[in-house]
Amino acid sequence: MSNKIHVSSSPHFNLKCNTTMIMGTVLFALLPEIIMGIVLFRWAALIRILISVASCVCFEYIFQKVTKQKVVIGNLSACVTGVMMALVSPPTAPVWIFVVGAAVAMIVAKGLFGGIGSNVFNPALTGRAFMFLSFPAAMGASWLTPKTISAVDAISSATTLSAMKAGTFAVEQGTYWQYFIGNRAGCIGETSTLLILISFAFLALAHIIDWRAPVAMVGTVAICSCITGENVAMALMTGGLMFGATFMVTDYATAPLTKKGRLIFGFGCGLITFLIRRLGGYPEGVMFSILIMNSVAPFLNNLTARKYGYGKKAGRPADAKEVK
Amino acid sequence: MRAKTFKGGIHPKEYKELSNQCPITPAFPASKTVTIPVTMGGAPNQPLVKVGDEVAKGQIIASGEGFMNCPVHSSVSGKVKKIQNCLITGNGMAPCIIIEADDAGRETLLPVLNPFETTKEQALARIKEAGIVGMGGASFPAHVKLNPPADKIIDYVLINAAECEPYLTCDERTMLEQPAKVIDGLAIVMHIINGGKDGQGHAKGIIVLEDNKEYILPALENEIAAAGYADKMSVCLVKTKYPQGAEKFIVSAATGREIPSAKLPADAGCVICNVGSICSISDAFRLGMPLIERSLTISGGAVEKPVNLRVPVGTIVSDLMPSCFTLKSEGASEPVKIISGGPMMGFAMASADFPVAKGTSGVTFLTEKETFLEEESQCISCGSCVAKCAMRLSPALIVRELKAGNIEKAKSFGLMDCIECGCCAFVCPAKVNLIQRIRLGKGIVRQKMAEEKTKAAAKAAAEKAEGGK
Repeated sequence: MSNKIHVSSSPHFNLKCNTTMIMGTVLFALLPEIIMGIVLFRWAALIRILISVASCVCFEYIFQKVTKQKVVIGNLSACVTGVMMALVSPPTAPVWIFVVGAAVAMIVAKGLFGGIGSNVFNPALTGRAFMFLSFPAAMGASWLTPKTISAVDAISSATTLSAMKAGTFAVEQGTYWQYFIGNRAGCIGETSTLLILISFAFLALAHIIDWRAPVAMVGTVAICSCITGENVAMALMTGGLMFGATFMVTDYATAPLTKKGRLIFGFGCGLITFLIRRLGGYPEGVMFSILIMNSVAPFLNNLTARKYGYGKKAGRPADAKEVK
Repeated sequence: MRAKTFKGGIHPKEYKELSNQCPITPAFPASKTVTIPVTMGGAPNQPLVKVGDEVAKGQIIASGEGFMNCPVHSSVSGKVKKIQNCLITGNGMAPCIIIEADDAGRETLLPVLNPFETTKEQALARIKEAGIVGMGGASFPAHVKLNPPADKIIDYVLINAAECEPYLTCDERTMLEQPAKVIDGLAIVMHIINGGKDGQGHAKGIIVLEDNKEYILPALENEIAAAGYADKMSVCLVKTKYPQGAEKFIVSAATGREIPSAKLPADAGCVICNVGSICSISDAFRLGMPLIERSLTISGGAVEKPVNLRVPVGTIVSDLMPSCFTLKSEGASEPVKIISGGPMMGFAMASADFPVAKGTSGVTFLTEKETFLEEESQCISCGSCVAKCAMRLSPALIVRELKAGNIEKAKSFGLMDCIECGCCAFVCPAKVNLIQRIRLGKGIVRQKMAEEKTKAAAKAAAEKAEGGK
C-alpha cells in the first residue's frame, strides 16, 4: 500500500473545474468579439487588445510581488480583465491610455481590495471609467470608420445614441440588420449584437454565467424604452448594453451571489442605464449603471432564497388527516 | 412513472457499476479476531465482560441503563482477549472489546417472535434488545426513532433506498437479493408506528428508490403484491441526484413536505429507515438475530476487484485483505485516501486498520485521480455553491461572514441549517474548504450555546441559594 495516505474532512470528490478553466472559458467566449473587432478595425484593435492584456497581467504580477502575495496570474483573470477593457474602448483611444487604465483596474480596483473575488467594482469598467473621465477628449472624440464586412457600406456614424437623444436619428432600410451583425462603428468588441448573443448563449449553457442579471438588465431597458415610446431595437443594439449585460453584469465578484439578488441587480443596471441615456449628461449609461450597482451588490446578497425547513411547506400540513 | 426530486443538488460520477454486479458474499476476518466498539450509536455503553471471559455469538457484551443506550453483542463465539482503545471511524480512539473467535460455535440468539402479535412496547423492547441502530451512517438507535412523541401523527414510513453516495451498492444488492425481507421489515415498522396489535395508526409505507436502480422496482412491487400489502405500501421513484439520501430530501421528494428547521422527520409526519436497518429489524423478530453482521461495499479505483461483503460487526477492514479483496500497487492506481463510507460524506481514515461498525456502509479506496488534493484558493464569488445547495443556503456568504467573525450574520445565511452534505465544496472551482469551515463555525456556535447554558444554570442556582437564605 502507498505510504502516502491523505486524511481530510469530507467531501473527497469534486468537480474537475477550477478558476483557471472558468476564466479560460470566458476568454473563449470572448473570441468572436475579439475577431469581429479585428475584422472591423484591423491593427488598431489588435494592438490595443494586446497592450491592454499585457499591461493588466504585468500590473497584477508587480502588485502581487510588491505586496508579497502568492502570484496567481496563472488563473487568467487578469487576461480576462485586459481583453474586456480593450473591447469596451474605442479603437481610436491612444495606446498609452490602456496602460494607465490597466494600472487603475488591476491595482486600485482589484489588488487593493484583496484580489480576485474580493473587489467591489468591476476592474475592467473601473479602468475604462478612469480613462473616460480623465481623458475625455482622447476617449470619445473621434470614431474609426470600420472596414466593411458586407456589400453594404458600414454604418460609420457612432453617434447613434447622441442622435437618438437629440431626436435626430433616422432609421434607413437595412440599418437594423447592419446593427445586428455589427457592421458599424463603435467600441472594439461591442458592435455585433449577434456575436454577443452567441457568447451569452454559450456561457449560460455552460453554466459559467447565470442568465438572471443579463436578462433582467436588457429586459428593463427594453420595457422602459417601450413605455416611453423610444425605438426599442436601437436601444438594445447600440452602445454597450449587450456586451455589458453579457460580460460585465455577470462578473462574479462584483455581482450578488444569490438568484434574487442577481435579478434585482440586473433590474437596477437596466433602469440606471435607461435613466442616464434618457436624462443624464452622457449619451451612454451602461458603464456607470453597472459601477453604481456594484456598490449595492453586497447588500443585495441579503436577498436569499427561502431556506429548506422554513415557511409554509415545513412540517405536517394542518389539514392532513387520513392518508389515502 | 415520473421520478420525483428536490431543488438543488449535484450529480457526482456514480461508479456504481464497479460493484453492483457483485452479490453480497459472507466473509470472515483472516485473523479470526473482531474488534467491537463498546458504543455504536446512542449513549456511551459500559463493557459487561472481562478479559478472559468466554462469550457466545449474540451475547450482549456492552450496554447501559439509559433510554438512549443501545446494547452491543458479540459477533462471534470466542474469548475476550483485550479491552482497549482502538482506532474507529472518524479517526478517534474509542474503547473496543477484542474477541478471538474459537470453533465452539456457542450461540445465544433471542427467541423468535411474531412481530404482528406484539404490542408496540414489546416490539420496541425487542428492537432495543437486538441492538438495532440506523445503518446508513448516523447510527441513531432504532428503538428511539420508532417511538416518536405521542403528539406527532405519523403518516408515512419511508424506506431510504436512495443510496446516493457514489460507489456504495450494498443497499442495492440487498433489495435485489432479499426483496421479501425488505417488505417484511417495512411491514413490521409500520405495525410499530401504527401502535402495535391494537393500534389505530394509518401510516403508509413508501420505498424511496433512485431511478438508477429502477430495474429493482418490479421485483419490489411484485413482492408487495405477493405479501398482500398493495393497499398500504408503494415504491416512489426519485431522480438520481446527490444528496437524495439525506432524510430531509427523502421526505421532500416523496411527500412534498419539508422537515422544519432543527426538528425531526416526525414533525413532518414521517419516519425514515435505511434498507439495512429494516432487514435487521426483520431478522430480529423472525430469526431472533441481534445486529451482529452487516453488508458493506468495498470499492474505489484502488481496489483490484470491488466486492459486496457481509461480515461480523467488528471485523478489521485490513483483515479482509487479501482473502476478500486486494489493492492495486502500481503508481497512479495506489490508494491515496481510505474512506469509511462514501466519498461525499465518509471519513478519511489514516489506515485500513479500523473495525466495521454497525453504521459502516462501505469502505472506499480512492486513487489520486479520483479524489482531489488541491490547495484552497481565493473564493471568486461565482455563486455555484448557492445554486447547488439543496438546503438553499448561501455557503460562500456563510464562510465570508465566519471569516469576518459575524456569527449572527452567518446564522442568517443558514449556518446552523447546514446538513454538511458537501455539495458546495464539490462544485467550488476555487476549492474553498466551504463545508469544513462551516463545520468549524457550527462547533463555535454549539460551544457558545453550551457555555451560556452552564452560565444560566449557575446563575439560577445562585439565585435559588440566595432566595433560600
